[in-house]
Amino acid sequence: MTLIESDTAGTVWKILVTEGQAVSDGDTLIILESMKMEIPFEAEEDGVVQTIHVAEGDVISDGDALVTLGG
Amino acid sequence: MTFTWEAALAELDRRRALSRELGGERRVTRQREQGRLTIRERIAKISQEFSEVGEFAAFEELDAYGNSIGMLPSSYVCGLAKVDGRTVALGGEDFTVRGGAPQTYLDRMKGGLGGFVEDLAHEYKIPLMMFLEGIGGDVAAQEDKGHAYLVSSISWKRSFELMSEVPVLSMISGAAVGGTAARTVISHFSVMTKDSVFFAGGPPLVKRALGIDMDKYELGGAAVATTSGAIDNVAEDEEDAIAQMQTVLSYLPQNVWQMPPRVECTDPVTRRAPELLKIIPENRRQPYQAPRVIKAVVDEGSFFQIGAGWGKSVVTGLARIDGIPIGVVASNPRHLGGALDAAAAEKQVRLVDMCSTFHLPILYFVDVPGFMVGPEAEKGNVMRWGMRAIQSMVQADVPVVTVQVRKAYGLAASATSNPDRLGLRLAWPTGAWGDLPIGGGVEAAYSREIAAADDPDAMRAEIEARMAALVDPWRTAEAFGVEQMIDPRETREVVAAFLNASLTGLETSLGKPRQQWSLRP
Repeated sequence: MTLIESDTAGTVWKILVTEGQAVSDGDTLIILESMKMEIPFEAEEDGVVQTIHVAEGDVISDGDALVTLGG
Repeated sequence: MTFTWEAALAELDRRRALSRELGGERRVTRQREQGRLTIRERIAKISQEFSEVGEFAAFEELDAYGNSIGMLPSSYVCGLAKVDGRTVALGGEDFTVRGGAPQTYLDRMKGGLGGFVEDLAHEYKIPLMMFLEGIGGDVAAQEDKGHAYLVSSISWKRSFELMSEVPVLSMISGAAVGGTAARTVISHFSVMTKDSVFFAGGPPLVKRALGIDMDKYELGGAAVATTSGAIDNVAEDEEDAIAQMQTVLSYLPQNVWQMPPRVECTDPVTRRAPELLKIIPENRRQPYQAPRVIKAVVDEGSFFQIGAGWGKSVVTGLARIDGIPIGVVASNPRHLGGALDAAAAEKQVRLVDMCSTFHLPILYFVDVPGFMVGPEAEKGNVMRWGMRAIQSMVQADVPVVTVQVRKAYGLAASATSNPDRLGLRLAWPTGAWGDLPIGGGVEAAYSREIAAADDPDAMRAEIEARMAALVDPWRTAEAFGVEQMIDPRETREVVAAFLNASLTGLETSLGKPRQQWSLRP
């Protein structure tokens, strides 16, 4: 189980996956928007999206949980 | 009893054996159970040769009633050591003896707060490496002295002096509290294991002072200390922490009177970096991973990041180009769009000052939209810290090569190059700069004209289009307002040529930092 956390503050702009979806290493899962930049968060291994901890429009702080990936 | 050599040497062996017992089996076992090495094990791990000093310093351990329990070795171990073939002054607290409390029971301190090991570094002009693990002060010390000690009698002079003379590297494993925490931060690089804690005062003190209950990790765990910037790096375990100290040492000279150690480079300077065209998206709203840009240009495997946990608008660290040790700063567009806030400015000042002290040229990858704005930034004193970042850059006594990766707007651009020296700026075609980005700038400068127009949106669009033509970076290149435009793939080769050429001049600035020409505001 891998918890993907944000490494920056921002707003959740796009959630590109759904819970239960299979993903591959490198797939973009979520894009945050911050200071006019679109900041992608990718899967770092193959897996299945277990839990999405945020909704589009949520305001995120550095360190907040975004997605949990399972094996 | 008459003197015999046999008896005298047997006595030396007996006392040596005592010093090896540290705080005794019970306390040593507890140290190991908590996943930590003893100070002697740490020293053995990092150094090949260790000439100990103060090996036989000891004191009588008393129980709570004042009765003697026996002799304990002093709570600090130090001496001369070889680390990766380099001579250093090496020392650390023995946490199994009085929690590593200062050796106030001795005529002379060995280390921890001043002491022999610092005098050794100072006189021989060799790096000081410290393993810190201690409770700082100790109420029992008052019993040793028989009176209350006014702490302003302590001299910190040597500790601060060393900062302008030799590399000072520190590592925490366990707790670094009060005085021990204080000694840790007077260093050029500090690292703590992820299970360690660092604070001015621990939970009991916090409870008494503020009435709040805090778990020690919540108060001063690695997440706290490396996010505040008090400690530069976090390590997985002691082995990792020790390795990080050795890594940092490898970029730095023995002292400020020497050039940093150049190593042989097996990564050709002619290596082109086509991956940069993939790493930097054509869409300007899409960021990139700053470390990937750095790694494409510097010697393979040579980038060591410092301070990843704080001031994230910049990535700072050490690296090599053609074997030449350098400092690296790179804007991080993933965090605040790369805008410089107070924390990022402070982190940059720390790295730039260290490079200036030890004669490491600086390579700066610029992608900064400006100083950070907004209430949090203002409360954080962004303007003063931002100006300090500019000041430290223009006072840095080393060559600086600046790569204009993308944005460079406003005052923050002044923190990326030094116009009072060579001011060499290499722009990529993705470079974009000006006083203000067009979007906000047009609105601000032409608000009356736009409001008065029949079609304000069309007027705004027309002004923006006119401005867009002017900000083409090639126009600045034509005006020699930027020194050179380069194909990003050639960055390594171009930077290497200039850095190699700069070394002869750099050698003329060896020694202690020359007089700073202005006080930090």
